[in-house]
Amino acid sequence: MNQNPILSLHPLTKFYFAIFITVSVIIVPNYLFAYAWFPVLIVIAAMAKVAKSFISFILKTLIILLAIVFLMQVFFYPGEDVIGSWWIFELTNEGLLQGLSLTSRILAIGSAFILFFRIVEIKDFVKALEDIGMPPTGAYIVLSTLQIIPEMRRQSNTIMEAQKTRGVETEGSLIVRAKAFFPTLTPLILSSIASTEERAITLESRAFSAPGKKTSLHKLTKRPIDRVLPWVYVGIIIGLIIWRVFL
Amino acid sequence: MTAIIQLDNVSYRYPIGDEWILKHVSLEIKKGSFVSIVGNNGSGKTTLCNILRGFIPHFHKGDLEGTIKLGGTDMSEYQLGQLGEKIGFVFQNPFIQISGVKDTVFDEVAYGLENLGVAEEDIYKRVEEVLSLVKIQHLREKNPFELSGGQRQRVALASIIVMDPDILVIDEPSSQLDPIGTEHVFEIIRLMKERGKTIILVEHKMDLVAEYSDELIVLDKGEVLMQGPTREVLESEIFNTANIQYPHVTEVALELQKQGVKLNFLPIRDSEITTCFKNDGGNE
Repeated sequence: MNQNPILSLHPLTKFYFAIFITVSVIIVPNYLFAYAWFPVLIVIAAMAKVAKSFISFILKTLIILLAIVFLMQVFFYPGEDVIGSWWIFELTNEGLLQGLSLTSRILAIGSAFILFFRIVEIKDFVKALEDIGMPPTGAYIVLSTLQIIPEMRRQSNTIMEAQKTRGVETEGSLIVRAKAFFPTLTPLILSSIASTEERAITLESRAFSAPGKKTSLHKLTKRPIDRVLPWVYVGIIIGLIIWRVFL
Repeated sequence: MTAIIQLDNVSYRYPIGDEWILKHVSLEIKKGSFVSIVGNNGSGKTTLCNILRGFIPHFHKGDLEGTIKLGGTDMSEYQLGQLGEKIGFVFQNPFIQISGVKDTVFDEVAYGLENLGVAEEDIYKRVEEVLSLVKIQHLREKNPFELSGGQRQRVALASIIVMDPDILVIDEPSSQLDPIGTEHVFEIIRLMKERGKTIILVEHKMDLVAEYSDELIVLDKGEVLMQGPTREVLESEIFNTANIQYPHVTEVALELQKQGVKLNFLPIRDSEITTCFKNDGGNE
């Protein structure tokens, strides 16, 4: 078993934590509260020894989205309290607050789930969902979809090579590559559709729909902390709701 | 031997085609026998396998006529899941035989047993045995998607053998294998037969078919041209007209016969080459 205090947690404990962050930033409207989650998540990522890949992924993906959302809100959110202007755009206080509020929530929720997928193996998460009652078909769909992506990438390369031998230009300027898009994509989609049925037959050849209870070699254990933490999350959420409603 | 599979006047056409792929097929497969289905491309071999395994009509709809019985019971009375326990199917294309949900060969081979609800300790024991039998122990921790065609074919075979079905339907198991790998796979199939399994094989390599099969079913344009013991079929005039390749040893012997060499019998296996020629005044 993994000795890392974060990685060794049950997948559902980690999942509930991401949900907990999501709910908390919806309940508490303060953007500082939402932004404060980010350093907490970095600390957790560092404890799980995934800080580098976690931050790098956020910089590559989330930051661009946050910048666009922030600028859109700042310049286009209707407001009267103008605090500055640039060319035809007016920067309003309402827009600034809306931008900060929205981006802080996106950052908190987005990074919580990005971290979740960094510290959980998908097969563990699916197994955990199966343990709480997800049907095997659902588990199969999630797992096979994730496994099949690299396989499709390989197939796409093969199709690309095949089209090259037929004289389709696949390298060069953007226009040349755009022209090659359909001759490559069409066989890829068609072969993927065809392989769906084949895969269903494959599953049946492995007794997927055999009657009776299935065995699982892959086991997940719940430690006391995995039983306590979800209740801690629930307790905090109730506290936040009471604070919002009554105080 | 009693019949384990019986087809009576079976015809089938796929939903998107007008042509009947199988036409009035009647045949019987005896329990514990090794039967090979031979025929040219498009003769209906794979379709017949799909019917024997129950994928037609459960997956491929289309029109299916006639009766198919498994162990005396009409195939339609079985659920697809129940058939999985009785009939194992090794596909022609090993690239689609990987479940796609397991990330090691060990787990991939164990997957069928997990679905059957076999006890955990039995799963470990049986998977170890099969990995060793199919000689893929060294691949146990590898991702099935990272294997070569030949390796996948062995994993596919292991994944089915481990489930210990009574009947094995094997569609061109050697299509991705080199000669040594092919020989090894056929030795495994022979071992399965010795363990009392019924083997139904589709294979183009006639040397292997003649070497291992008890019986042949010859298909031509969706019809059964002939069914009978391997030697009887290969020696028949009907097989001669079916335009299917003979085993190499038989081809050579027939050519020699044409040139006047006398034979005691028509050899169908390599081991018969030394005994088939007539001892004619010391010119053996």
